[in-house]
Amino acid sequence: MQLQSLSQPNLSSHLRALYALIRKDWKQYWRYPLNAVSSIFQPLIWIAPIYFMGQAFSVNGKALGFSQYSGTTDFMSFILLGTVLESFINAVFWGMGYALKNDMDSGVMESNWLTPIPRLLILVGHSVTNLLVTAITSLGMLILGGMVFGFHASGEIWQALLPILPMMLGLYGFGFAFAAVVMLIREANTLVDVSSFLVQIFSGSNFPVNALPRFLLPVALALPLTYGLDSVRAHLIGTKTILPLPWEMFLLIVFMVVMLWIGTTAFKSLERRVRTLGTLGQH
Amino acid sequence: MRSESSVKSLAVPGIFADVQAFWAVVSREWVIFIRYPSWIIALFIWPVIFPMGYILTARALSGVDGSGLTTFQNTTGLNEYVGYIAVGTMIWMWQNIVLWAVGYSLRNEQLRGTLESNWLSPTWRFSYLLGSSIPQLVSMLMLMLVSGLEYAFLFRVHFSGSLWLTLLVILAAIPSVYGIGFAFASLVITLKEANAFVFLVRGIVMIFCGITYPLAILPAWMQSVAQWLPQTYIIHGVRTAALSTAGFSAIAFDLKMLVLFGIFWLAVGYFLFNMMERRARQTGAIGQY
Repeated sequence: MQLQSLSQPNLSSHLRALYALIRKDWKQYWRYPLNAVSSIFQPLIWIAPIYFMGQAFSVNGKALGFSQYSGTTDFMSFILLGTVLESFINAVFWGMGYALKNDMDSGVMESNWLTPIPRLLILVGHSVTNLLVTAITSLGMLILGGMVFGFHASGEIWQALLPILPMMLGLYGFGFAFAAVVMLIREANTLVDVSSFLVQIFSGSNFPVNALPRFLLPVALALPLTYGLDSVRAHLIGTKTILPLPWEMFLLIVFMVVMLWIGTTAFKSLERRVRTLGTLGQH
Repeated sequence: MRSESSVKSLAVPGIFADVQAFWAVVSREWVIFIRYPSWIIALFIWPVIFPMGYILTARALSGVDGSGLTTFQNTTGLNEYVGYIAVGTMIWMWQNIVLWAVGYSLRNEQLRGTLESNWLSPTWRFSYLLGSSIPQLVSMLMLMLVSGLEYAFLFRVHFSGSLWLTLLVILAAIPSVYGIGFAFASLVITLKEANAFVFLVRGIVMIFCGITYPLAILPAWMQSVAQWLPQTYIIHGVRTAALSTAGFSAIAFDLKMLVLFGIFWLAVGYFLFNMMERRARQTGAIGQY
């Protein structure tokens, strides 16, 4: 029988490397169970101030002002859904850029880079555990959030999954480019925090984007994630959409193709630059 | 040439050596802080984007015709929400950053593998914690200054109150905020799962202290919990001092509570540090992560 080791790279060895990466991250994540539990509660804690603030704007639990922008008075279902989707978006942001920073800090980045594994595969491997964990915690969050704040979805869940697919794949492209920037400047926290927070605001995770001041609205409309969140909400809780749904789907597919191309190109170029500078092992 | 006896090294423990060690920690933390220039971005961006999420949600809740805002005004008695949210979120940011920076200072050394070797040096160990909080305090005072300016010019918040009274509340708040940071840092050396504890503490502040809404909206049991949290008094004190003309008498109670909480939390921080440090040495957990 012929042994396929990592020193003879092929599809099978790549898959094994991917599995090893996922298993390592999975083991590391669940090694700290309190952190895992807190990731369910954390997003709920973030939206708790909005819940109480929303009560002050509501009459008998119905946010009539909010419905003028969104088409629903159930602002908590709107926000809870946005929070869940935002968790997945952040998993890709954090999963790749931040994991690289962790590798740098713990001193394994350079040695990992020397292995005969495609470097993009290392990034993908880091994000898979994050996505799996996010799926589990999001389910917990929806159940718990539904019990505490109320969550009412009446739409078709399978149709809602359709816009999620191109949105997430497009985000991978963005994540590749972002990870390369983290490698170059060797700092992730501020970049990750600020950029994910800005994306969260402008893609309308907590409010309908048409409530933005007019001069900020173009920023929201330029973000493909805005259409992703908008489509999913329209399918699940029947909110008003910015554009007709087929148009939003078309934009998401274009985003996916363009971002994957830009992301991989930028990553390859910046990664080469980092290797030329010899700063791969620094942090 | 200096005589050998005049050399004050760390190997000769004493107050002078402790001050030297403390200063070395302060200098090191400052170098690490300015080493990553992204702090400049954070300094200018966070004060704007963090409250922005809540302010824009409040704007959406107000509705196109402002009907939601009328409901808000009837329920809370407040005329506007922007300054109210901006001050509340700024205090939350302060406590949050202290938890991450001061609370993580020892944990970071543990992760870098330098905690155990530092611990073996003949220095006052609390100086590691105290020293790391000084550059942090300087950066936080810069953050508050920038926040105030940005709120005034970008969000058009009208600070009709007194600058001196605002500074007085902030000064009174420092022992509580950093005392919690010290207690937190001490727990983290042994319990290790720092993220979970940051999330817990900042989550409690976020839910109970009314960063975006008046406490009167909360159920009675939550209002009772809020009374035991220093951040409730910091937020109320700074809002009153900066946004109203009510004067010293309106913040006197907040100041009194902050002094009491300050003494309590500094004592708890110091006690926990000594206890956890001893426990970590006994169990050999100092170098583990």
